[in-house]
Formats: sequence, C-alpha cells, structure tokens
Amino acid sequence: MADKNFIVDSIDNLSIKMKELREAQREFASYSQEQVDKIFYEVAMAANKARFLLAKMAVEETGMGVLEDKVIKNHYAAEYIYNAYKDTKTCGVIEEDKIFGIKKIAEPIGVIAAVIPTTNPTSTAIFKILLALKTRNAIIISPHPRAKDCTNYTAKMLLEKAVEAGAPKGIIGWIDVPSLELTNEVMHEADIILATGGPGMVKSAYSSGKPAIGVGAGNTPVIIDETADIKMAVNSIIHSKTFDNGMICASEQSVTVPDSIYNEVKKEFAYRGCYFLKKDELDKVRKTIIIGGSLNAKIVGQSAFKIAEMAGVSVPENTKILIGEVESVDISEEFAHEKLSPVLAMYKAKTFDEAIAKAERLVADGGYGHTSAIYIDVNQKEKLAIHEKAMKTCRILVNTPAAHGGIGDLYNFKLAPSLTLGCGSWGGNSVSENVGVKHLINIKTVAQRRENMLWLRTPEKVYFKRGCLPVALDELGNIMHKKRAFIVTDTFLYKNGYTEVITNKLDEMGIRYTCFYDVTPDPTLQCAREGVKAMTSFEPDVIIALGGGSAMDAAKIMWVMYEHPEVNFEDMAMDFMDIRKRVYTFPKMGQKAYFVAVPTSSGTGSEVTPFAIITDADTGIKWPIADYEILPNMAIVDVDNMMDQPKGLTAASGIDVLTHALEAYVSIMATDYTDGLALRAMKLVFDYLPSAYENGSGDPIAREKMADASCLAGMAFANAFLGVNHSMAHKLGAFHHIAHGLANAVILTRVMRYNAVDVPTKMGTFPQYDYPKAKARYIEAARYCGVTGKNDDEIFENFINKIEELKRIIGVKETIALYGVEEKYFLDTLDEMSEQAFNDQCTAANPRYPLISEIKELYLDAYYGR
Amino acid sequence: MDLTNKKLILERKHKKVYESNDCIIKSFSKEHPKSDVFNEALNQARIEETGLNVPKVLAVEEMDGGWAIIMLKKNGKTLKEIMESDKENIRKYMDMFVDIQLDINSKSSPLLNRMNLKFGRQINELKELSATIRYELLTRLDGMKKHTKICHGDFNPSNVLIGDDGEISIIDWSHATQGNAAADAANTYLLFALEDKELADMYMDIYCKKSDTAKQYVQKWLSIVAAQRLSKHVETEKELLMQYIDVVDYL
Repeated sequence: MADKNFIVDSIDNLSIKMKELREAQREFASYSQEQVDKIFYEVAMAANKARFLLAKMAVEETGMGVLEDKVIKNHYAAEYIYNAYKDTKTCGVIEEDKIFGIKKIAEPIGVIAAVIPTTNPTSTAIFKILLALKTRNAIIISPHPRAKDCTNYTAKMLLEKAVEAGAPKGIIGWIDVPSLELTNEVMHEADIILATGGPGMVKSAYSSGKPAIGVGAGNTPVIIDETADIKMAVNSIIHSKTFDNGMICASEQSVTVPDSIYNEVKKEFAYRGCYFLKKDELDKVRKTIIIGGSLNAKIVGQSAFKIAEMAGVSVPENTKILIGEVESVDISEEFAHEKLSPVLAMYKAKTFDEAIAKAERLVADGGYGHTSAIYIDVNQKEKLAIHEKAMKTCRILVNTPAAHGGIGDLYNFKLAPSLTLGCGSWGGNSVSENVGVKHLINIKTVAQRRENMLWLRTPEKVYFKRGCLPVALDELGNIMHKKRAFIVTDTFLYKNGYTEVITNKLDEMGIRYTCFYDVTPDPTLQCAREGVKAMTSFEPDVIIALGGGSAMDAAKIMWVMYEHPEVNFEDMAMDFMDIRKRVYTFPKMGQKAYFVAVPTSSGTGSEVTPFAIITDADTGIKWPIADYEILPNMAIVDVDNMMDQPKGLTAASGIDVLTHALEAYVSIMATDYTDGLALRAMKLVFDYLPSAYENGSGDPIAREKMADASCLAGMAFANAFLGVNHSMAHKLGAFHHIAHGLANAVILTRVMRYNAVDVPTKMGTFPQYDYPKAKARYIEAARYCGVTGKNDDEIFENFINKIEELKRIIGVKETIALYGVEEKYFLDTLDEMSEQAFNDQCTAANPRYPLISEIKELYLDAYYGR
Repeated sequence: MDLTNKKLILERKHKKVYESNDCIIKSFSKEHPKSDVFNEALNQARIEETGLNVPKVLAVEEMDGGWAIIMLKKNGKTLKEIMESDKENIRKYMDMFVDIQLDINSKSSPLLNRMNLKFGRQINELKELSATIRYELLTRLDGMKKHTKICHGDFNPSNVLIGDDGEISIIDWSHATQGNAAADAANTYLLFALEDKELADMYMDIYCKKSDTAKQYVQKWLSIVAAQRLSKHVETEKELLMQYIDVVDYL
C-alpha cells in the first residue's frame, strides 16, 4: 500500500488492509520480549504526551464529556496500562516448572478487531492499542462515526511511534469511513474481537463467529448504608458521577438510602451543588432523558445545567447533578435507566433488605454483570456478605467512586486497570474480569511425561519367627501402656485355646480384655455390627485380630465403625484409578485404638494389607474396602498359630499366596520395592508348599516358610495391587462358591498365558508401565524360581508346567466344571459374571487391560478345560 | 370480475383506486415500476395462501398506460370509522384490533420479504439522517432477533374492514414482510402516536398484555420504525419522528 491516499472505505479496501495487517503481524510474532517492551514503552510515552491534544479533539468532535476529565482518561490509559504490564512476560516461555515438566509459551492471537465507542474515543483506542502491541498482535480499529477523526488520529499517531520504535509497518489499521457493514466485516475477518459498545454492538460481535471479548451496559446501583461515612459517600458519588459528565459505563445510576439518614444524605448532596428536581420538573426531565424507552442521544455526556435547560427546568449553572427522588425501580421509570449523564435516581428504603432488593432489580433490568457499589462501615460483615451475594455484577465496589473504582488500580490495587470491563455470562460476555493482556494471548502448555511418586506402605511393625507372639505383645503393655484390649476371633480358635497365649500375656501385663469370637467365614456387616456394639461399650485402646482373612477383615471393619460410627459403606467401597485421587476420602484411623493382626493361616496376607471385604447379609452385596488407613499397625506372624491348619486350607491358601505374588509381580504398579517381596514369596511357595501340604506340622520349617511367604506376598500386593486373575476369582466365589484360593488356581495359568503377549488388545494405563512386558516379567520370575529352558518361550512353558505340577500335588482341580458347577447355570450367569469381573477393582492393575469378551473366553476355557 | 361502472374512490400521487360492483382496482401511474406492482400482487397472493381473510387477487393487467391490480371487493366499514363513531366502546375495539394483529403474527409465509433486509435498505437510503444516526440504527437493527412472523407493515384500524355480518378482513398488504412481530407492534404504536398519544398508549398496553411481551422489547424497535416511517417524507411528522430516532443504545 504505497498509495498515501489509500483509505478503508469499502469492503475491497478493507480486505487489502486486512492482508497488510496479517503480514505485519506475522513479522511481529517473531519479536522478542525486549523488542516488544521497547515498542510498548515508546507508544505509552507518546500516548501520554498527546493526552491533552487527544482529549481536546474528542470533546470537539463528539460534543460530549469534559475536556479536563478526558485528559485524565487518556493519561490513565497510557500510564496505568504501561505500569501494570511493563514487566509482564507476553512473549515465548512465560512460565516453566522443570521439576513437573510443565512449560507455558505465550503466542499472539493474530489480528484484533477493536470497536471503539464514542464515549471514550481516544482513551479506549490507546488502551486497546497498547494491549495489542504488548501481546504481538495486529489491531484494526473500528471507530464510531461520531468520533472517527479523533479515534483514527490516535491510531495513526501511535502507529507512527510504534514503527519508529521498531514495530512492523502497518501493525495498526483503522476504518477511515466507518459503517456497520465494514464493522461487521472487520469482526468476521479478525481473529478476536475487543468490542466496547452497546448491546447491539456486543451482539453483532458475538454473532460474528469469532471469539469476542465484549462488554455491555451497566446500571450501577449504589447503596448508602446507615453505618456509612455520609460525607465521604456523597462526595465520592458526586466525584464519580460528574466525571466526564457521567459517561463511564461503571458510573452510579441510582442511590438508595435508608430512611434514617435520608435527610442527612440529601442535605449533603444539596450542599455540594446537586439539584433535587421538584415534582413538575421530574416529569420534564423524564421526558427529556428517555424517549420511547430509549436514552435520548442529545443528553449523553452533557452537563446537568444543559440537560435541565433542554427539559425546560432552570437550575444554577454550576449544578453538579440532577437528582430525581423516585420510587419505582421498574424500567417504566425513566430514572431507573442507565443515563450516561449527570442525572441520578435517588430511592428511599425502609430497611437494608429493601435497599438490596432495589439494587438487585436495577441490576437485572439494565446492568447484569457490570458493576455495583455500597458505602458502609467495613466492619458490617453480615451486610457486606448479603450485598456480595445478591449482586449479579462482576465488580462490587465498597466505599469507592464507581467510575474510578471499576476501571481498576486507581481506588484499589489489585483490580486490573482496564477500559474494557468484562460482564461475564450474565452480560453475555466471555470474560468476567477487567480485560488485560492475558486475554489476548494464546498459551501453549508443553507437558513432558512424568511419573507420579510411588510408595511402599507396610504396618509400622511386622514381627515374625516361631513363638514371637507373646514377645511382640509385650510392647502393648510395657512400651505403649495400653489398658484395654479387644480380641476378635472365630469360635473354633477361641474354643481350641488359640487365644490363651494372648490372654495370658495380657493378664501378665495387667491389660483388661474382652473377646468377640463370633466371626464367621465371609464375615457379614451384621456380625461386624455386633462386634462394634461390644467394642463401643468396652472402649478398647487396642484391637487384636486373631484368625484367617475373615477374622482380620471383620476386625478391620469393626475398627472403622468403632472409630467412625457415621461412615457409609457405599462411600468407602468407592473404586479408584489412583488410590490417592479417589473421590471419597477415607476417615482418619487410629485415634481410638491401635490395631494388631495375628494370622492363623498362611494365605490372605490380610495382616499387612489395606484391604477388607465384608458382606451385607440383608442385600447380599459384598463391600470391598481398600485404604491405607485400615492397614494394621502391627502384624505378628507366629507359625505356632498355624501348625494345625487342615490340608485343604494349606492348599487353598498356599496357592492364593502364589497368585498374590505373581499378580503383584506383573502388575502395572509393580516396583523394585515390591518385586523383591513378590519374587521371594513365590520361590518360598514352590519350595515349601508341597511339604507343608504333605507333612503339615510334621515339617515346621515348611510351615514357617509358608507363613513368611504369605506375609511377603501380602506386602507386595498391598502396594502393587493384583490383577484380572483375582477379579475373575472373586466372581467365581460369589457366583459359584468356589473357595477363593482354588478359584484363583483354576484359572491361574490361563490368565498368565493371556497376559503374556507382546501385542495385547489394550495395555493397562499407568505412566510407569511404558510398554507391554508381562511375558518378560513372568520369565524373569521363572528364572528366579529356578526354571530353565533353551529360550524365553521354553522357560515360560516350563514355568507354566511347574505351576501345573504344583497344583496337581496339592490337589487343585483342572477345570471349573470339576468343582461341580452346573453347565447351564454357569452359562446363564456368564455374561453377568464377566461384566462384574471386568468392573472389579483388581482389574485396574492388570498389565493387559481386558475386554469383557476376553474375560468371557477365559471363563469358558477354564470351565471346559480347553 | 365485473369492471363496469367503476368509480374512483381514492387518488394518490402514484395510484388511483376504483371500485366496481364486485372489484377493487388499484391502478398505478406509468412511472410506478412494473416490478413493484407485481411484487405487491405476489405479496398479497402469499398472504391469501396463509388463510387470512384478505381480498383475493384476480388479475394484474395494463391499464391507462400503467399497471393495475384487480382484486375482489371486501364489503364493510373500516375499524377506524367504527372506533370514531362509537368512542364509548373504544377499548373493546382495541382488544379486537390487537387480536387480529396477533392472528396475523401467528402465520408464516417463508417466501415473503425479510423485514430486517427491507428495514436496513430503507435506513441506508435515508440521506437526511447523519451517518452517525444511521450507524446507530443499523447496529440496533442488526442486534434484534430475526423472526419469521408475518407482519402487515401498515397495520392500523383503517386497514381492517368489518362487514355487516361481522366478517373481518384485512386490506393493503403492500408493506407486508416476515420478521419480528414487536417491530410491527412498534410501527402500529407509532401510527397511533402520530395522531393520538393516548390511544397509542392504550394500544401498547393491550398489545403487550395479550402477547405477553415486555414493553421495552417493543420500544426498542421505535427508533427503527420511526426511521422507516421517515422515508415517507411527511413533513408534519418529521419533528416527532426525529425525537424517536435520535436515541442511543447504552454505550
């Protein structure tokens, strides 16, 4: 565009201009922060220097407002905006956190369409141009026809300064001959719209299909509370309302005053030069300010004297504000409108609530989202809270002149300085704050892969070795000084004297105790409630759970209900993807009692796990509870309690241990910390389960090694969790009553084959699980357990064979059918069982994320042995 | 169609209206564009098809060097005459008048001219308004909701005929468009207000109540319809219309 006479007065020329702006902006986008800051500085300086000239031009051209006040607005737009953003990073990397691998990069948006109103034709132009330059955007100014000369002059002058300071030529453009057609075209063509104007303009902006930051009408209501400093309040209102003849959209439009101070407020207004309209004068002014429901353009930005004159009312020439004492807040009352002039409505209210109701209505009818104000003693916290709650405005100003307060940083310090005030969704805006540079940049967030912290959580004390039970219990008395112990166990153990070692020791230490021995296998909520009843009346400071998984699980549940009677099981049973982020927060445990777990079978590992399962006998629902809060405080693994386990139990619980270890080892949450525990546990099972099964108490070493294996595997899966093998076994137990350990065993090698593929349908989701590696993990485990072979595949096969052989030795059946599950019933329940298994908490940690159809196939294969 | 005994009943600058036994003949001057005449006939035919009771178009033909629309005559007195002769019952007539307008608004005719386009064109052509005022008006028009309700465009009691048997018919559809009914109401209000402010206010109250419309919603259209009316260049109306026109949307 070499032609000096080129002007934007048509769609064709506008498209040439837009092209030029785009080119300039492309260049500008590569500027550094230093280059941008220099331009920002020079242009702010130039605008500041020209503040008087621009103010004068604005008043002359529009015939509205007050020259001296417009100087302040220009000054503000240059100085406050520069000051607020001079050190703000707007180019390139603006934020970086290397530890978390997060980087934020600011990019310009492109071309900003800036619609400039006639009320602030130069200051708004300065404001928007400065924001655009600071953010490396191009800007095209669409002036109001009434103010086009001064607005465009501002743009032209600042463009020259910007280019002198190094900005690309043509980075600022403007429409020379404004028309609605061109304004709409600009809004369509730009990348973002900064629209300041009436509802019509804002609507056009939003319907242009481009993101728009528009502002709407205000109808700022002010309440003067009876606790207010009246002199300060009245003079602040006058100061703000007369500023630029009331043309700032945040200006006060009405003031509501309680009965008790009404006369005093009125006196102060009158004393300071405001004119109270008399009855007949009120109607004359009404007809002058609003015509057919709309604001008369002729009064906008005029002085009180001039408006009175137009209405045929004679007032002193230096009158500051025309005040109409009116009653209705309905829109049919002319004084209830936004008046953009020194005309103010004044209402009397009997109560504070009435004043609030009036303000609410005024906001609803004319200024949703804009600004409201209150004058009050700031110690009136209750009233302030009521006001804050009631006002649907994005700025609520306290003891502040609204025009000066709303634009920010002048009568307050943390409200952003701005001449474009967002009104939120209430005002149909996308922004509810004062608009600033952050609204004119796109922020790219670069996020590097990070793995969240992992953990190893175990009971603070795990004691083991044959005969250690009384030794370990000694701590309860001699170190912890516990006074009252509550023992939870089952009838068999109780009747056969298994509790005696404990009670003798407690007697010796003088600890009082009671014993609840009604725990049944698959403990019920009803049973736990019984126990809690006894517990609540006994008030123990230590709970000792003695038994297999059932007694320990029941005791954990009683512990929760004893400490937190208010808890809801449905909430506590909430599943999780990451136990740290679960929706439900588990209550804090251990405030009433210390928890000791003493296992009598070598299988569940419940003495060291954060898990418990309880069945509601009324509904049949099983509630699996998982949280580290229910991890026992002390675990005592003394094989003396396990010597006489029946053969069946040894087999079922023994193979359960192997499943725990294998699943924890291939889990997506397995860590080096759990791997050692899992590997050792599985090796012990292979080495000692056959003899423990065959010889029972005849081989106390094997018994003890199995007790250790159970506890080690428990600690492994307490942290690495399990997998789909357990999910499926849980449902085989629930639907077909196969003992848990055997249910695990009957599908174990099938699930291993299913997991051991390098191309699974889907992989489990956890950042540390970086590629499918279940097969390699199984082989690693196999080698540790002494399996050999000429290659990986053979080792895997031999590992499977070793497990199958172990199963044979301890009498695990080959198929589900062999456990007496009727075929028709199995097939009828298969879909439901498969879905429930998929949805089991254990599934989440499986290395292969299963499809329901795959689970179904696995079940079928295991049923028929195919 | 019996055009014998036609007698002149109205004469305007560009048209003469004759009445015959069973027809009305709207005959336009030579200068009046042919397309305008056909367009008016087309408009009326479209309204006919909506089921509203309007004079049936019978023919468009050449007459005295220009073009004429011939339509079936509707008999009766205008509502305006009735209102003037029976002032006591004026409220009742106004009720009826608003009901008729709401009935019109309830109809649609997808091919009818678009109100917003027509208004925009008319405002753009109003060179006696300053660019600033035209800009304000167009911005306001642009922000208005664009509906597709049939709007008569010149709905006033003189365009409603009441037959001896009570049959109601609506005439003069040359300004009909599809658009926002509140604009049509604002236009009717203005037509009343140009003659009688009190009657205008009565109309506004009844219209807003019956249509469940907020008054300010209708009022928002006043400046636009006033500008449109200004294009008729009636010197005596100019001052009042300018008052309605020179208003601002909140800035």
